[in-house]
Amino acid sequence: MGRARMSRHISILGNVRGGPDTTRGRPVAPRLAGVSIPALRPPANRVARRAIALWMVRGAAVAAVLIGVSATVSSALAALPAARHQVSPGSLPAGLLDWADRLPAVVAAVALPLVLGVPVWRYAVERFEVLADVVYTRTGWLSRTWQLVPVARVQTVDTSQGWLERAFGLATLRVQTASHAGSSRIAGLPLPLARALAADLGRRAGELRDDAT
Amino acid sequence: MTAARRLSPLVLVVAPVQVLRQFAIPVVGVLLFGRFSAASLAIAAAAVVLAFATGVFRWWTFRYRVYADRIELTRTFLSRRVRAMPLQRVRGVEINTPLLHRLLGLAIVHIETAGDDSEHGVLDAVSEEEADRLRAALLHRAAATPPPYLAPPPAAGYPPPAAWYPPPPAGASLGEPPEVFVRARPRWYLYAPLSGAYLLAPLAVVAALVGFVQQLTELNLLSPRRIGAAVEDLVAHPAVLIAVSVAAAVLFLIAMPVASVVVFALVNWDFTVYRQGGALVCERGLLTRRSVSLERRRIRGWVLVDGPLERLGGVARLQAVVTGLGGEARGQLLPSAPRDVALAVAERAVLPLRAELAGHPPRARLRRLVRAVGPWAVAAAVAWPAGLPVAGAVFTALALLGVPLGEDRYRALGHAFDGERISVRSGSLSRRQAVVERRALVGWRLRQSWFQRRAGLATLTAAVGAGAGGYAAIDLDAGDAVRFAAAVTPEWVRPFLAHPVPGPAQEPGPPR
Repeated sequence: MGRARMSRHISILGNVRGGPDTTRGRPVAPRLAGVSIPALRPPANRVARRAIALWMVRGAAVAAVLIGVSATVSSALAALPAARHQVSPGSLPAGLLDWADRLPAVVAAVALPLVLGVPVWRYAVERFEVLADVVYTRTGWLSRTWQLVPVARVQTVDTSQGWLERAFGLATLRVQTASHAGSSRIAGLPLPLARALAADLGRRAGELRDDAT
Repeated sequence: MTAARRLSPLVLVVAPVQVLRQFAIPVVGVLLFGRFSAASLAIAAAAVVLAFATGVFRWWTFRYRVYADRIELTRTFLSRRVRAMPLQRVRGVEINTPLLHRLLGLAIVHIETAGDDSEHGVLDAVSEEEADRLRAALLHRAAATPPPYLAPPPAAGYPPPAAWYPPPPAGASLGEPPEVFVRARPRWYLYAPLSGAYLLAPLAVVAALVGFVQQLTELNLLSPRRIGAAVEDLVAHPAVLIAVSVAAAVLFLIAMPVASVVVFALVNWDFTVYRQGGALVCERGLLTRRSVSLERRRIRGWVLVDGPLERLGGVARLQAVVTGLGGEARGQLLPSAPRDVALAVAERAVLPLRAELAGHPPRARLRRLVRAVGPWAVAAAVAWPAGLPVAGAVFTALALLGVPLGEDRYRALGHAFDGERISVRSGSLSRRQAVVERRALVGWRLRQSWFQRRAGLATLTAAVGAGAGGYAAIDLDAGDAVRFAAAVTPEWVRPFLAHPVPGPAQEPGPPR
């Protein structure tokens, strides 16, 4: 009963089977966009769509802090005319000082596409699938990590919400084993789904646990 | 109800000596500075009395008691402080016998439990027979008690009275002779400089000398003026200065390997690995004899470590992968020993590996080279135009050295699975080959950076609930990585394969 309810929850998010990653016939060459490990199919479920907004807001806050820090640094450098007399003109440090007033603009120009683009990329890549015996997740954007955690080895299951996540109604599910490399994290789940998964996994882990570790 | 036991009465001799050793130099300084006046003699006498009081305090207030499921260490002085350590969490027992303890027939017992250092118990000091009995009882009982979630809940109320040491299970008695796997040969101590162990010992000696001279000047036994005058005389003649510097450098270069061998021999004298009961025991040391016992059923594999000089000399180090010991430092089985000896000990004492390591694809060679050469080449490319020729030369030299380093790193890459154990190897300056039991795996992590994605490679990490936590096979072909994981743990990986492979007990699928 519990399992049927959970799979209904997952189907609300939309199963994305048969996407560009899975192929029929011969495996596609790894150079095509989206097909990074042809032997492994991607997990079936995406996280909540509003996680994109959450990650954009978080990225914008970090970018604002970085721009503020760079503005402070550049104004401090500009307010030190004595520094200019100590470096020889034409060398590398003098060139850096000349560029100091453009630093905030450079930081903003680098940060803006990251703030807008990375959350969309992450939403496209990050997926999860919880089977009876294994938890399978794919995370990352530029570099990707596939994680397989057998339920029998799970030690703790956490649901956590930062204050920003609480505003969006999202949560992060952490599944931990005896090893740091064997633990997985799913961010951007709707809170009821995260709670249901955590309860289900905790119960099944208790049933299945053996003393291999 | 059995009574709690105290430490050996000889603690009254050992503890004052330990305390006085710490305060020797200040006390001597006070005596000399006060020129043996009544006040300085009184201070020295007070220090001696304090040292004896420490011994009495330790012996009087400390007791220990072994129950069926835990060991309790109690310190009673005005208030009572009890530390209870469940036997289930005891991972290893270490018995040290420093020189003074050995002369008196005593030993120090360290009880290591899973968890941070605050949970370790120390019994300093008990008699050697008592230490052996304690070790056998702790490790036996830890092996006999079932895991907490399978055992019935403990009955309420005070624990029932237990015999002091119940007879150990048949076949694992204390009287059984130990099975010795390896014993050190004197020639092996000469391998110490190859691993770089204790090479900087002469530096420590020089630092101690400088400190000693400084203390003498503070006690007015040596005047700084005379030292300054001597140094000035030396510096005035450049020929003498050069000769002295060259002689010092040559002396230092000769002293480093000699010191390395001497200190290594002192620390690892007569190292022996043997099995006693259900534990693997490693003993070593000349002045302080250290005996580390690891429960056999907590050992999940081994790691063979070597560096480039050690590979030339055919030497390697062996470590055990143990659950719950927080890192591999506690699990050292063999210091530098011949490679075939280390492999034989690993096979007989822990577990054998029956498969050859498979190499990684040639694309991985390019990645290893780029990572070894790249950062230095970039730094050199920045340093030369920036007007820093010395830095530029250094970075260029490092970049050139990166070529053989990258090549060696590629040749070290490998992975294997022989049906019951997996093995991965990587590294060059510190090459590590890890062999782990299949049943110790707690998961897989497959990571692919953007560059690896372009090359079709991936790094597969086997997560293990022991040792370092995870052992990585670096830069595998991506498809090979998935096939390897599916071969080792098919039940975890098969549901997610893109082209499901029929299992041995299933019907073959429709023809592809």
